[in-house]
Amino acid sequence: MRVVVADDVMLTREGIVRLLEEAGVEVVGQAGDAASLVRLVRGTQPDAAIVDIRMPPTHTDEGLVAASMIRTELPEVGVLILSQYIEPSYALRLLEEHPERVGYLLKERVFDVALLVDALRRIGDGETVVDPTIVSRLVGRRRREDPLEALTAREREALELLAEGLSNRAIAARLVVTERTVEAHVKQIFTKLRLDANPDSHRRVLAVLAYLRGVT
Amino acid sequence: MTARLAIPVLAVVCAITAVVAVGSAVDRPPSSYAAASGTADIADALAGLSLVLGGALAWIQDRSRVVGVLGMLAGVAWFAPDWEGWVGAGPLVRSLAAAVAVLYLPLLFHLCLALPAGRVRGGAARLGVVAVYALAVGVAIGRALFRDPFLDPYCWRTCLDNAFLVHAEPGLAGALGDIWMRAALVVAAALVVIAALRLVAATPAARRVLLPTLVPLAVAATAEVAYAVALVRTPLENPESAGFAAIFLVRSLAACALGLGLAWSVVNVRRMRSSVSRLAAELAEAPAGTLRDGLAAALGDRDLEVHYWLPGSERFVSSDGATAAAPAPGNGRVATPITRGGRTLAVVSHDAALLEGRELELQIGSAARLAIDNERLQAEVLAQLHDLRGSRARIVEAGDAERRRLERNLHDGAQQRLLAVSYDLRLARAAAEKDGDLELTGLASLAAARIDVALGELRELAEGIYPAILTEAGLGMALASLADRAPLPVELGDIPSERLPPAVERTAYYAVEETIHEAHGRGASFASVRAERAGDTLAVTVDDDGADRDGSLVHVTDRVGALGGTVAAGPTTLRAELPCA
Repeated sequence: MRVVVADDVMLTREGIVRLLEEAGVEVVGQAGDAASLVRLVRGTQPDAAIVDIRMPPTHTDEGLVAASMIRTELPEVGVLILSQYIEPSYALRLLEEHPERVGYLLKERVFDVALLVDALRRIGDGETVVDPTIVSRLVGRRRREDPLEALTAREREALELLAEGLSNRAIAARLVVTERTVEAHVKQIFTKLRLDANPDSHRRVLAVLAYLRGVT
Repeated sequence: MTARLAIPVLAVVCAITAVVAVGSAVDRPPSSYAAASGTADIADALAGLSLVLGGALAWIQDRSRVVGVLGMLAGVAWFAPDWEGWVGAGPLVRSLAAAVAVLYLPLLFHLCLALPAGRVRGGAARLGVVAVYALAVGVAIGRALFRDPFLDPYCWRTCLDNAFLVHAEPGLAGALGDIWMRAALVVAAALVVIAALRLVAATPAARRVLLPTLVPLAVAATAEVAYAVALVRTPLENPESAGFAAIFLVRSLAACALGLGLAWSVVNVRRMRSSVSRLAAELAEAPAGTLRDGLAAALGDRDLEVHYWLPGSERFVSSDGATAAAPAPGNGRVATPITRGGRTLAVVSHDAALLEGRELELQIGSAARLAIDNERLQAEVLAQLHDLRGSRARIVEAGDAERRRLERNLHDGAQQRLLAVSYDLRLARAAAEKDGDLELTGLASLAAARIDVALGELRELAEGIYPAILTEAGLGMALASLADRAPLPVELGDIPSERLPPAVERTAYYAVEETIHEAHGRGASFASVRAERAGDTLAVTVDDDGADRDGSLVHVTDRVGALGGTVAAGPTTLRAELPCA
């Protein structure tokens, strides 16, 4: 797998590069700001770009803007956003613009190399990756009449994994059940929450996240 | 009193004598316009009398002696040709009148530049007035000394004698006559242009004041142009010809209107003075910040400004307490200080054409000065309030800037360092794993896990100090994020999606955050938040279902107040209105 890494803090960037190379991922370029990242991606056509959300010049959401540009211009290139913030708004914005081949992870996850490589692989497969803390914040939102209470403990676990962007097969592996069982859970979840999205599509992650945030 | 009235009485006597004298002139052929026809006679008398009387009124009013004198002299000069043509007046008077007649146009020229207060503004204008006078006087003296009327082919008024004749020089006298005719043409044309320019350049208030005098002046000057052109074409003047008679009628009517205009100006100044002193009396009785409005109405000057002097902070403020620039005269405006016991209370700046600063000051009595001093004190209190509000807003602003700085430092400093440590620990663990050192591997894993906990806590701390998303994405996103981690269900209603001034967004955000936590403390199980923008106000409302509120939300009130907004708190509801112009 070929990736590029963009982060304005050199220490972090080189750490990521070293971990990835040790894990056998080919790093084809590094960038310190959004503009050079976009140029680099155009030049190297990698499988994915790992992008810090805050980069020069304004240190706000340059990473998200660059991600959107990359996904629009080169749909084959996946983007993994690294962020300091547990901010569902940012994750939702990313997924609303491009619901496939994108990921939003907290920055410290990148030093867990197995997790990082797994995220890159899932993005390469066309899936989405959402940090578990984002999902648990949304699931844990206080609600007046919580529709999530209608779910069984197992369904709730499946819901969280689904919202993190895992495929049915991956959920089955995590929960140590068969894929058919997961399919049944997902169907139940969508029925109980009255979600009218297609439970098998790639867009189900966005649908579930938006639902979790919208219901009070 | 005698001195004050002597000059106008003299001028009026002159005028009446002239009218009487003209009435008795029965020469054939006529030697003056007045003697040519009954209509001309009446027009002539009305014109001269109205100039003399208008000038006399201006003189008596004591606003501008110069304007009064110019008006009276113009009236006297207007009658001069009648004296010149009246055989019964005798050679000396007739010769003198012939010389004085030339001054009518220069007097109009001077008057045009001296209105309304008698001062000719600008060096070029003063020089012009002097030059026109000098030329006219030069021509008058030259013709008096060298013109023998008997030898003048165009003579028609007094053709027998010139009392001042030193030596007859028909050529020189004729040349002087020609020079003056052409000069008169130029001066009269310039007068039309100057009058028009003055009217165009005047402010609306000044134009109202100048119109009744400048318009007749412009018409009179136009008639003088026509007169000069007619004389150039037909050097032998015939008061009975239709053309010359018509020109004379227009000149007379314009002069008459100018005299009436002068009288009107006198009445107008009197009216302005009495409304100022009436206003001053009203102020003394019921003072309530009405000095500016009252003066503006009394003088008819909408741009009039009153600035109060605050000696403590050495600055001027307007009546609402806002700091104002020091009023400077110039550009057609005058700044009149109003003092009490030697102290400056206020400075009134108004259109120079309306009232002289001195006149304004004179109309304001001591009782009114007390009232104005009270207004000044009120303005001072308001100015202090202004200052206070400004400093409150700055304190809140500084606090927010500090919070923001802290948040950034936590993210860019401490968090980056912890990330680096986390990375090193993972390297150490990998190395230990390679060496088969299980104990070290376990320790490194534990340390890495603890760092992750520390990073999480640090993040929450930073988030609580300052929500970065507020600056980056606005109030709506920030409130959504606040609802994500609120301790009770928060329903977000409509929130304006457009960006608002940063201070408004911050104040609205912290007001909602504090109110939600306060509601949670009162046992609320639910809160709803909405914000709506109406004009220049953002209204933020938070409702909840908790127990009734027993205290007030001091921090929210302070914060909103610092921005100049208001907070209305009910038992379970809070509405904050923030100005966001």
